[in-house]
Formats: sequence, structure tokens, C-alpha cells
Amino acid sequence: MITIDKAPPYLTVQDAGRKKSRSAGVPPGGAMDSFALCVANALVGNAPDMAVLEWALGGGSIRFERDCVFALAGANALAALSGSDVAPCTTTYARAGEILSVQKIVDGRFLYVACNGGFDVPLLLGSRSTYLPGRFGGARGQTLKTGDSLVLGAAVSAAPAAGFHCAPDLMPRYDGGILHVTRGTHYEMFDDASRRTFAESSYRISTASDRTGYKLEGPAIANSLGTLPSEAGCPGTIQVPADGAPICLMADAPTVGGYPKIAVVSEADLPILAQRRPGDSIRFELITIEQSQRALKRRASDLNAVIHSANRAPRD
Amino acid sequence: MIHSQPQALPLGDSAITIKFGSERSPELLRRIHGIARSLVDARVPNVDDVVAAYLALTVFYDPLEVSYQQMAARLLAFCEQAADLTAPRVRSRNHVIPVRYNGIDLDSVAKATGLEPEEVVARHVSRSYSVDLLGFVPGWAYLSELDPSLQIPRRPQPRPRVAAGSVAIASAQTGIYPLDTPGGWHILGTTDTVMFDPARDQPSLFTAGDTVRFEAIE
Repeated sequence: MITIDKAPPYLTVQDAGRKKSRSAGVPPGGAMDSFALCVANALVGNAPDMAVLEWALGGGSIRFERDCVFALAGANALAALSGSDVAPCTTTYARAGEILSVQKIVDGRFLYVACNGGFDVPLLLGSRSTYLPGRFGGARGQTLKTGDSLVLGAAVSAAPAAGFHCAPDLMPRYDGGILHVTRGTHYEMFDDASRRTFAESSYRISTASDRTGYKLEGPAIANSLGTLPSEAGCPGTIQVPADGAPICLMADAPTVGGYPKIAVVSEADLPILAQRRPGDSIRFELITIEQSQRALKRRASDLNAVIHSANRAPRD
Repeated sequence: MIHSQPQALPLGDSAITIKFGSERSPELLRRIHGIARSLVDARVPNVDDVVAAYLALTVFYDPLEVSYQQMAARLLAFCEQAADLTAPRVRSRNHVIPVRYNGIDLDSVAKATGLEPEEVVARHVSRSYSVDLLGFVPGWAYLSELDPSLQIPRRPQPRPRVAAGSVAIASAQTGIYPLDTPGGWHILGTTDTVMFDPARDQPSLFTAGDTVRFEAIE
């Protein structure tokens, strides 16, 4: 078991999300940075899609009530275990009673804490992810509060020995300011000037951004299409409401919507966008669906390399 | 054009949207619902999820298993075949939802429409509605089409919280709030029927293409 010693402003249980319930209106949800989810899990000997803690917006601390192997991934944080620094992306062993404290998140947005065995919260629609707008999943559908406890799952396999870490060159470059996108399902309906504005402008992540979507600030994209009959979107979809300020849908976005969809962020780059903070600038670069799917395959093979190296690492 | 050639477009790396037309119509929607259901029934390989909508349906798949080009070709071939069926075998269900018509907006709707509250209720229960689309929040179903005399725009200011089970109307549609959420529709009444439960295998009571009637209870 772990106990939330001092809850950060945002802390939830997330895994790979709900992939097969969109027809019932259920968003996929899951970890905003799916790559960090898999890496954190690999470092503690878990399957890549097991439940982890998603942590954001500030510091806090958790207490391990039993011996536990854990790892941090995603955002960079100043973290310590009983006073000693905890390195990112490194297999770390905690003793029962020890406290992991995160002083602050230094860069990036979502920090992931994986524990060997994952977290034993109910499986709903194939996932343990917390869906805050619907108040279900994770721990009673809510953020974790100070004093809450979470039961750890049974370890599925042994974790690598303490100090194991994955090669930095296999990690996505979170500092990249260019996000690759493919054409959205209404791209052809935007006029040339709107497409040029989108492709050539720099956009800033607005403070109005959360797990449902990131609002973008910058040159308005003229939208003469208004609202269209609703159809499915997906995380990464960049839609343009009437005011011309684009919104990028994220993990918890509604499954359908009526704003025209100008582009979709490549899945390989979605973790990079997820980790951008309000105020950060980004640009978009159009690529073909073939290029985008190739990039996703490269990302998957990098991830497999991380998993293989974790599997081959010495055990204690 | 109801039987225009379907067009496939990528929606990111893991989804394909197939557009069937550019004008909304009940016939087009029925055709899309029929194809969506037969895609699921036929267990077409690599189809993880299907979202049917007014002009298009969207299929979700795993791009590490099959490429966009392969999947698009497979789906278009399926749609062509499905178009040959004179009447797609649609196993839609009919639901009857008991409603207590004591909603906080019943009187204001009566005023706005110039009808007596009893007449608003009578017209709301007089029709059979089709489940057009699921979305907005889990289990939310857009039901159409409302009696023309009841069609009023949504409230100018949405309420921060509308209770699950609230039966409401806006424009040409009616719906039932499946969860406590913000909402801007006019609330006519409440039902105890559970619209959405993530612990059920089929979490949403309604599926796109079903039909729904309301029944007034005390």
C-alpha cells in the first residue's frame, strides 16, 4: 500500500486508457504522456500499460507502506527519497515507511510514478484510468487527496536492480518546438489563407488547457464553416471554433464534436505536446499519414528497446 | 446525395473517417447506423471501435498492426458490399423510459412555447425518437426529432450542474443526462433509468440507431 502524505494539486491513477468504448461516448482517457507511462512501467518490471500515478501542478509526497520498487518518468522533477535525490527514469527501491517527496516539477507537465505491481483499483471498461469529468475510474473517480491510500497490485515480474536506467537517446525529445500533424478531416474545407496561417504561425499553449484539451493562442484561423454536424474526434485533433482560436483535443476530450477539424497531431508527438506548459510556444508541420505512421512505428520500436533493456537488466 | 461514393480520410494515426454525404438527412443517418452495426457484427479484422455520426462513421484501429492504406481499402470494400444490401439487417432496440414530468424548466418551456405544461408533456411523449449519436459525455444520446412546437434554443447560460437522469430538450432534440454534468438544455423531468454505468459490459443503455419513447409517470 502507499499513502498520500501530502497531495499535490493534481494526482490521479492512469493507465493506457479505454480503447473500445467510444461508441458509448466514453473518451479513451489514460496517461497524457503514453510514452512516459510505458517507460516508467518498464523500469519497475511491469507490463507497459499498467496503472501508474499521474502527477502535476506542484509538489507533494507519498509514503510507501511496504517495500516497493518505483520509478519516475515524464516531466522532470526535483524528487527525493528520505532525503536522497531520486534520478529520473531510474529503477529505485524504497523501504516500508520511506517517503518520496517531489519538491517541484522543473520542466514538463505530467510526472509519472510507477510502482512494481501497479495499483489495485477497479478495472472499468478495460482500464483503471481516472476519468474526472465522469467521476469514475481510478480512486472513486477523483484526484487523490492527503491521507488517501492505494493498494499496490501483486508484482507480475521482478524489477531490474536498483539504479537501472534507460538510454536517454530512446526517450522522446520533449524540448522540440515543432509538432508533426496530418490533415484533419475538414482540412480541404478551410481556405488557403487559413491553412497558411495554421502552417506558418507560432502558437502558445493557453492557461485554459487540461486533460480534455489544450487551447492555443496565436493568429486566428478564419473559420467560415461555422459548426458542422458532429462527428468523431480523437486525442490530437486540432479543431477550430468560430473565434478562430484552435483547440487541440487531449485524452479526456468528448468523443464527438462539431467544430471543423483542421489537423491531427501525430501520435508519436502527442506526448511532447502533452508535456508543454501554458505559455510554451509550438509550431505545426504537416506530414503525410504514411510518414506519421512510420514515426509512430519508430517510437514503438524505441519503446521496445527500452523494455528489452529493462528485461535483460540484472536483478537484485 | 444519399448514395454518393463513400470517401475515406485519416483521422490521425489510429482512426479513419468515412464520409457518406454532405447533407444531414434521416435516410443518410439510418444508412450510416446500418453500416456501423454491420461492421461490428461482421467482426471485420482490426476494427477496435466504430463511432457513427450524421455524415460519417469513424473506425478506430491499431496502426502498428495494419496501415492506413490497407485499412481504408478494407473499409471501403466493406461499405460497397453493405450498399448492395437492400435493407441492412439492423438489430436496433426500442426503449420506453418512464419520466416524472416535474422538471424545473417545464413552466418556462410552457411559457416559451405558448402551451400548457400538460400539453408540453403530451407532445414530448407523443413521439418515438431515434438515437442519432452518442457522445458529449459517456452515455449521452442525441434523440430526434422533437415536435416542432417544442423546439426552442438552449438556455443562454448553461447550469454548472445538471443531475443524472434529467430529461431535457433543446432545438430539435431531446436527451437524458447520463451523469451529473454542466448542461444548457431545458429540463422537463427526471427518470430513474440508469443511462450509463461503467461497470456494465455495455455501459450505455442506448446504442446509435435505437428508438426511444417516453412515458409519463407520477
